[in-house]
Amino acid sequence: MGGESSRGPMMTRVCWRLVDISSRILDPSEREAVRGDLVESGETSSQALREVLGLVVRRQAALWTHWQPWLSLMGLVVPLGMLLSIVSRRTAGESSVYIWMYANNWEWGDLGNAGFWHAFPETVALVFTRYLTLGCWSWTSGFVLGSVSRGIIRVNGALLCLMLSFGALLGAPLYLAYFSQYLHRAFGFPSLPDPNDPVFALRFYREMFPLIVQAVLVVGPSLWGMRQGVEVARLRPLLRTILWTAAIATLAVMVIQNPDLWLFMNTHRRPGIWDGWQIRLLQLVVYWPVGFLVASAIGRRWRGRIASI
Amino acid sequence: MLGEFEYLMLTAATRLGEDAYGAAIRQEIENATRHRCSIGALYTTLDRLEAKGFIKTRMGEPTPQRGGRPKRMVRITAKGIQAASDFYAAVTRVSRGVSWEANRAAVR
Repeated sequence: MGGESSRGPMMTRVCWRLVDISSRILDPSEREAVRGDLVESGETSSQALREVLGLVVRRQAALWTHWQPWLSLMGLVVPLGMLLSIVSRRTAGESSVYIWMYANNWEWGDLGNAGFWHAFPETVALVFTRYLTLGCWSWTSGFVLGSVSRGIIRVNGALLCLMLSFGALLGAPLYLAYFSQYLHRAFGFPSLPDPNDPVFALRFYREMFPLIVQAVLVVGPSLWGMRQGVEVARLRPLLRTILWTAAIATLAVMVIQNPDLWLFMNTHRRPGIWDGWQIRLLQLVVYWPVGFLVASAIGRRWRGRIASI
Repeated sequence: MLGEFEYLMLTAATRLGEDAYGAAIRQEIENATRHRCSIGALYTTLDRLEAKGFIKTRMGEPTPQRGGRPKRMVRITAKGIQAASDFYAAVTRVSRGVSWEANRAAVR
């Protein structure tokens, strides 16, 4: 396709591959017309890439002249990205203590210890529940974002990843450090050494493990949820309403269970409020993505079988 | 009032007639202006002209020369012809007596 001057074949293939990828952002009919025009006019791979990127940028910029993308950016991408980063960092911090206890202090003799077999399954269940909750929160956040920003889904996905990167590297650590100082000042906590210092003295648990948790349990599920959220418009209105209700309840639980909010709502003086059946029911709703994905997979398999009969 | 690029596109589409489509219009504009015409500017302007009712577009048949991909065919409407005529008349009126218009007349 096109005449290539001194550009090597590898570079040419890379450019055309980038043309393929970037043109997927366009509407299908426009993508085909543009690709046909590039073939007909004999553009080189680099010229074709410039042309397609130019069109993609113009199309995306045109979307951002309306207020809806800005609302989704400031109302969803930024707060959800920051909140997920903070929750992810907290989850990584809490679970790293347990993982350090068993991974860094492992002795095969523990397997013969009855106390080990009492505590280990509980620890596994606790850590798994925390990770599953974080994954469900991330998936739901992506689902909500995908269903309200179908036209700019790829841009919002990139912006969410940027926000999560900022949150993971800078925002969440600074915020949690400030919050810890605030607790000490506001409640007069004495300055004692943190009993978990041996864990976070290790660079892996201090710096790398939070990033791994964020990548696996936040970024991946969020992007997956966004893809599912785009499809929600095709569902029946009743099912859409149910899914949206579950999604909003899940995000509400994520916000409510953020310890900072307890202080602002002054609910630390009323500990019983978190033991009510309403909160326990809400916490169960958090795991609705699991049920949705299982039901979707069963539905697809069922339709496939019917189609093959 | 049309923009200058919109006028170029309407004129190119009119000249091409039944054969007016994206790549052909682009080639026509590049021949006339002796400048490169970007696909981004072309297709966004096509959308703008169609939204204003100056053209109608449809997807044509795929051809082997285009790798089996269809063309976006363009047809100017009566409203588009009127808009282009008005632009041409305005440019002609405002250019009357200016140096480059007089030089051009002298060269003729």
